[in-house]
Amino acid sequence: MATRSNPIQDQVAIVGVGAAPYSRDSQRSLLDLGLEAAVNAIRDAGVDRDQIDGICGTGLGLGIMVTHGAGALSLQGALGIPSLSWTMNGWLGSHLVYAANAVYSGACDYCLIVQAEHRISAWSSAANQDPYRVRASRFGVHSTVPNVHYSEGWIHGGESYAAFANRYMHDYGATREAFGMFAVNNRQWASQNPAAVKRTPFTMDDYFNARMIRTPLGLLDMDLPVDGAEAMVITTRERAKDLRPDPVLLHAMSLGQAPVAEFYENGNWGKQAPWKAFEHLWARSEIQVEDVDLWYPYDGYTPIALAYTEAAGFAPLGEGWQMLQDAWNPEEQKLALRGRTRVQTGGGSLSHGRVGGTNYYTEAVHQLRGNAGEGRQVEGAKTALFGIGSFFHDPTAMLFRVD
Amino acid sequence: MEASEPMTGTSVSDQEVFDAFPDVNLTYDNIEHFRGLLQHKLVINRCADCGHWIYPLRPLCPQCWSRDVNPTEVSGDGVLYYQTTLMEGRHMPGFEHPHLTGGVELVEQAGLRYLAPIVGVAGGEAVEDTPVTLVWLDTAAGPVAGFTPKAGE
Repeated sequence: MATRSNPIQDQVAIVGVGAAPYSRDSQRSLLDLGLEAAVNAIRDAGVDRDQIDGICGTGLGLGIMVTHGAGALSLQGALGIPSLSWTMNGWLGSHLVYAANAVYSGACDYCLIVQAEHRISAWSSAANQDPYRVRASRFGVHSTVPNVHYSEGWIHGGESYAAFANRYMHDYGATREAFGMFAVNNRQWASQNPAAVKRTPFTMDDYFNARMIRTPLGLLDMDLPVDGAEAMVITTRERAKDLRPDPVLLHAMSLGQAPVAEFYENGNWGKQAPWKAFEHLWARSEIQVEDVDLWYPYDGYTPIALAYTEAAGFAPLGEGWQMLQDAWNPEEQKLALRGRTRVQTGGGSLSHGRVGGTNYYTEAVHQLRGNAGEGRQVEGAKTALFGIGSFFHDPTAMLFRVD
Repeated sequence: MEASEPMTGTSVSDQEVFDAFPDVNLTYDNIEHFRGLLQHKLVINRCADCGHWIYPLRPLCPQCWSRDVNPTEVSGDGVLYYQTTLMEGRHMPGFEHPHLTGGVELVEQAGLRYLAPIVGVAGGEAVEDTPVTLVWLDTAAGPVAGFTPKAGE
């Protein structure tokens, strides 16, 4: 039971979702991808574009003046939306929290959220040969963290996650199999998702045999950089009832943060931001972790998914790897936590593609509407839980439900 | 680019620090750390009132809110808190693959960790909680504080 007031509970609803196709090389601009997703989401919601009065666009801490990208300013002009009363940009899962609070407060009534991503030059040596991607690295949301001094050199890189994965195994006796289960599970679900970029299933042996990149993490522990975009339209629960019979309600949310390890150098497993986020979410929720049908832990790197799984309360601290062994279904090559909760039903960032986690939200909307299709629909799913963000910072804990 | 020469025993001007670290966002809060690197001294901000070590390098003590912050040299001893060997992907500034990088928890304070290259590990197989000590590495990207297993451990 909730231990504190949460007046926004079930008062804001997702009424529209849309995507642009995911691919390794779309030959399209970030804005172009964002616009396609936005138009699809607005049409799915059944609202007129003149009704859109809030936009949360794509941006990494750059405020509204994101140019050459899919920020709110560019989106509004390109979509021909005449008047807004609220704008912001966001990244990872936080945009939905910003927008939900804006709708609940009355700052806007119908808010468009757009997250577009490119396979940026910093993420792949092949991408670093593409003149469009190299040029984009100098502008807007594509700006990369400069090559700073060694002592600050782990920021936004894989080194920290790999090192924490080693420390987790050292402290708790886990093996790489715990990380591999997320990789195999997610690919198995992606094989049933026509929108996923990687759809060929692989085995645990394949996982162990994949190229080692940063010990103990190999190629299949790391998310898949893609070009793609997702968009959503949200409004109040009352307005949502007039639009469609199956609005997805936002039950509880938190942007809980721990003291930030600025260079990813401090903090401990169990005390990082994901644990804060879920402590604050559960204090605001009438739904318990045992009642969760669908679970979407951030899988930018597989140890992050394990961290969020423990942080959300699916297993005690340091025991997530053992819980996964009980949850593993060898026939399906999928996880079912406590025999029930399904994990990353669309393939996640590892196999659907990396768009910062917004695809988890839209996949869950399809699941909760009951139209996920292609054999991946989880029958009777009513609740979906999300842990989207870094292991170190900017986590979003979010809980969806349908009546 | 040639490996830099240490400026030990000499005073180092602000301009020399800016010139030596063109890609670092140097501020009033962190420049003493980087000046120290050029002199082969590992310097961390420390609260003059309560003794708390402040890292990342900030101008206010997060324990007692004192602004009396003194950049202070640490002993150079610590334990390897965590580590990874980089096989491919982006490079750490000044080093090639494969490369062992780690977070060293300094003996001065629990949780006080410094990111550093780990060198001189037998067989390249680093183990968490191994006692390590400071060793200076002069790279093409400037001086870097590295750590190596303590003798006899």
